Amino acid sequence: MKTLRSFPGNRIIWHAIIVGVVWLLLLLLNNNIDPLYSSYLALVAMYATAMFGMTILVGLSGQVSLGNGALMAVGGYVFALTSMNWQTVPFFGWEWNAIWSMVFAGLGGVLIGGIIGGLAARLKGPYLAGLTLGVAVGVPAITNRFPELLGGENGLMLTVPYPAGGYAAIDAGGEVATDEGGDAAVDIETDAGATGEDQQYAELDLSEFDQGTDPLAEEDLLTEDDLLTEDDLLTEDDLLTEDDLLTEDDLLTEDDLLTEEDFGAGGDLGIDENVVDPTEDPGVDGAGLDGTDIAGGGFIDGFDSEFIIERWQASMAIAVACIVAFAALNLVRGRQGRVWKAVRDDPVAAAVVGISPSGSKVSAFVVSSLFAALAGAVFAQILSFIGPGAFGLGLSLSLLVGIVLGGRASLLGAIIGALLLVWLPELVDGLSGERGWPEQITNNAPNLLYGLLVVAVVLLAPGGITGTFKSWIDKAKGRGRATLS
Amino acid sequence: MTNFVDYLLGGFSNGAVIALMALAIVLVWRSTRMVNFAQVGQAMFTTYVALTIQQSTGSWILALVVAMAAGLVLGIVVFFLVIRPVKNSDSTGAIIATFGVLIALQAGAGMIWGGDPQGFLTPVDNSGIEFAGRIWPISLYDVLVLVVTAALVIGLTLLFTKTNLGLSMRAAAFNPEVARLSGVRVNRMLITGWAIAGATGAVGGVLIAPVSTISPNSFDILLVFAFTAAVIGGLDSLIGAVTFGIGTGLVISLVSGYSDSGNAPIVALILLALNLLLKPDGVFGHHGARSV
Repeated sequence: MKTLRSFPGNRIIWHAIIVGVVWLLLLLLNNNIDPLYSSYLALVAMYATAMFGMTILVGLSGQVSLGNGALMAVGGYVFALTSMNWQTVPFFGWEWNAIWSMVFAGLGGVLIGGIIGGLAARLKGPYLAGLTLGVAVGVPAITNRFPELLGGENGLMLTVPYPAGGYAAIDAGGEVATDEGGDAAVDIETDAGATGEDQQYAELDLSEFDQGTDPLAEEDLLTEDDLLTEDDLLTEDDLLTEDDLLTEDDLLTEDDLLTEEDFGAGGDLGIDENVVDPTEDPGVDGAGLDGTDIAGGGFIDGFDSEFIIERWQASMAIAVACIVAFAALNLVRGRQGRVWKAVRDDPVAAAVVGISPSGSKVSAFVVSSLFAALAGAVFAQILSFIGPGAFGLGLSLSLLVGIVLGGRASLLGAIIGALLLVWLPELVDGLSGERGWPEQITNNAPNLLYGLLVVAVVLLAPGGITGTFKSWIDKAKGRGRATLS
Repeated sequence: MTNFVDYLLGGFSNGAVIALMALAIVLVWRSTRMVNFAQVGQAMFTTYVALTIQQSTGSWILALVVAMAAGLVLGIVVFFLVIRPVKNSDSTGAIIATFGVLIALQAGAGMIWGGDPQGFLTPVDNSGIEFAGRIWPISLYDVLVLVVTAALVIGLTLLFTKTNLGLSMRAAAFNPEVARLSGVRVNRMLITGWAIAGATGAVGGVLIAPVSTISPNSFDILLVFAFTAAVIGGLDSLIGAVTFGIGTGLVISLVSGYSDSGNAPIVALILLALNLLLKPDGVFGHHGARSV
C-alpha cells in the first residue's frame, strides 16, 4: 500500500477506484430508496460538489470567500441559456447535448472565477471576504441589469433536458415534474435560509406555480371537458335506468381494479390533487370506466417508462459530484494541495522555495469556481429554475457554514457539511411538525443553529467534525494533536 | 442641472447613515484589527428592539436611546463570547466567526419579529421641504438624520482627542504592548471600542429604518456600502469613514437617479475593487498601517 502510494500514477488509480466504488454504491442506494430521499440525495451531491471547491479555497488556500454562491449562479445561468437557446454547439456545429451545457457552465465559472481570483490574489483576510461579500450581494443587481436575457428578479424557467426516451414518455406527466421542482425550490429556499427574503421567495414560488400549472390547466382540463362530451352521459344514464345495477357486479369490480392500478401508482409518485381531480369530477362518476380508459392513456404511458424524476436528478448530481470529487482528490492529495497549504501557512517561505503565492491563490480560486459553476448547473436542473433569489448571499453563507462544520480542510468534511445542510432543516421541520412550532420559529431555527454552531466550532474545534475525529484518533494512537489540516 | 443637484441633495441622509456604519466598522478595526461582518447585523437587531419600543411607547427618542444601549450591550456580548477567545488564535476563524454571528442574529431576529418587512415611523415629517418656490429633495427628517450624525461624529472626535479615555484607546490601538507598559488597560479599551461601535451602528440602524423598511436581511446591502466606505477611507481613519460614507451615499444617489437603484451595489463593488487595486491603504490610511 505504501509503495503503491509513492507513485503518482498509482495514486490516481487508487482515487479512481475509491470514487468508482462510492459512485456505484450511491447509484445502488438511489435506486432502492423512496424518491423523496432521492431528491435529498441530489441536493447533498449538489452541495458537496460546490463545497469541494470551498475546501480548496477556504481550507487549503486559506481565502475566505463568499463569492461561490454567485459563481453557482454563473454556472446555472450559463446552463440555462445554452440549453434553451442552442440547437448546436456554436463554431463546431455538433449537436447540442446537456453535457455541452455543463462544459460551458464550467468554462463560465473558470472565466469569472479567474477575474475575481486575479483581484483576490492581491488581497487577504477581511478585504477578500468583504470584496466577495459585495459580489454575493451584487448578483441580483446584475440579473436585474439584463432583464430580457436573465429574466430579472423572477429568473428563468428551465426546460430540463431529460434523457431522450424518458423525456418523450413523461411529456404527458410533465406537470408532475414541474410540481416537484416547485416543492424542491421551496425546501431549498428555506434551507438557504435568507430569513427576510420571504417576499422575494413568495414571488418566485408564484411564478413557478403559474408556469407550472398553466399548461396543466390548459391541456388537461380542456381534454377532460372534451372527453366528457364524447362520453355521452346520456348513454350512461340509459344504461343506469335500463339495467339492474346489482347484477353488473362484475363490471364494477373491473372498474375498481383499473382505477386502483392507475392511480395507486400515480399516487406513489406524488401526483398532486390537480392531476387526480379531473377524473373525480362529478360528471365522470358514473363513467369511471370510459373516462379512465381514454384520459388515462397519457398517464399510464408516462409512468410505465419508470422514469422517476427525483432518481434522475440524483443520479445526475451524483455523477457530477463523483467526477468533481475525483479531480479534487487528485489535486488536494497531490503536489498542488501541498502548494496551497504552503502558501496558506507561510507565503514568504513558499516564495523562497519557488512557489508563486499569487499564482497559488488564483489557481485555488479558479478550481473552486469551476466546481461551484458545475454545482450551480446541477442546482438549476434540480430546481428547473434559475433566479437571483435562490443564489444570493444566503447560499454563499450556507456553503461557508457547511465547510466550517464539516471540517475546513477536508474533502470528507465537505460531504459531511453537505449532509448537515440538507438534513438539519428536515430534522427541525420534523420536530416542528411534532411540537407544533409556529412557522417563523421553524423557518429560522436551522439558521440560528448554523450560526451558533459555526461560532462554537471556530472557538472549540477549528477542525470541524472531521478534524475533531482525526485528532481523537491521533490521540488514541498516541500521536500529537492534529492541526487544521 | 436641477436633477443633478436634487440627486446630490437626496444622497446626504443615506450617506450619513452609511458613514455611521462605516464608523462602527472603523472603531472595531482600530480596537481589535479585524472587520466585524456582523456589525450591520447587530444594528439590524437593535433596530428591531427600537421598533418594539416605539410601537409600545410611541416615543422615537426613547427608541433611539434604548437602541444605543442595546447596541452597547450587544457589542460587549459579541466581544466577550466570540471575539476575545478567537482573536489571536486563528485569523481566518475570526472572520468566519463574525459571519456566524451575522447568521445567528438574522435568524434570531426572524424568529422573534418575523421575516416580513416592517415600517418604522419618523418623528418628524419625511416629505420634501418647500422653500423658495419649489420642493427640495430634503425632508425635515433628513435634516434630523444629519444633525444626529453630526452630533455623534463631533462627540466621538472630542472623545478621542480631548479625553483620557480617548487617548488610552488610541494608545491601545496604536501599540498595545507599549500602552500596556504605560498603564493602559488594553483589554478594557478593546471592549470600549466594541461597545462604542455597537452603539454607533445602532444609531445608524434606527436612522435608516424609516427610509428603507426593516427586515432581517434588509441591511445586507448596507454592509457592502459601509465596508466600501470604510476601506476607501483607510479602515483606521474616523474622518475617512465619515467622508467616504457620505461620498458613497452621494454616488449611490446619483447612480439611482440617473439609472436604477438596482445598479448601486455594482457601482459600490467597482469602487471597492478599484480602491483595493489602486490605493490599497485607503485615502486617509497611514501607509503600512495595514498590509492588504
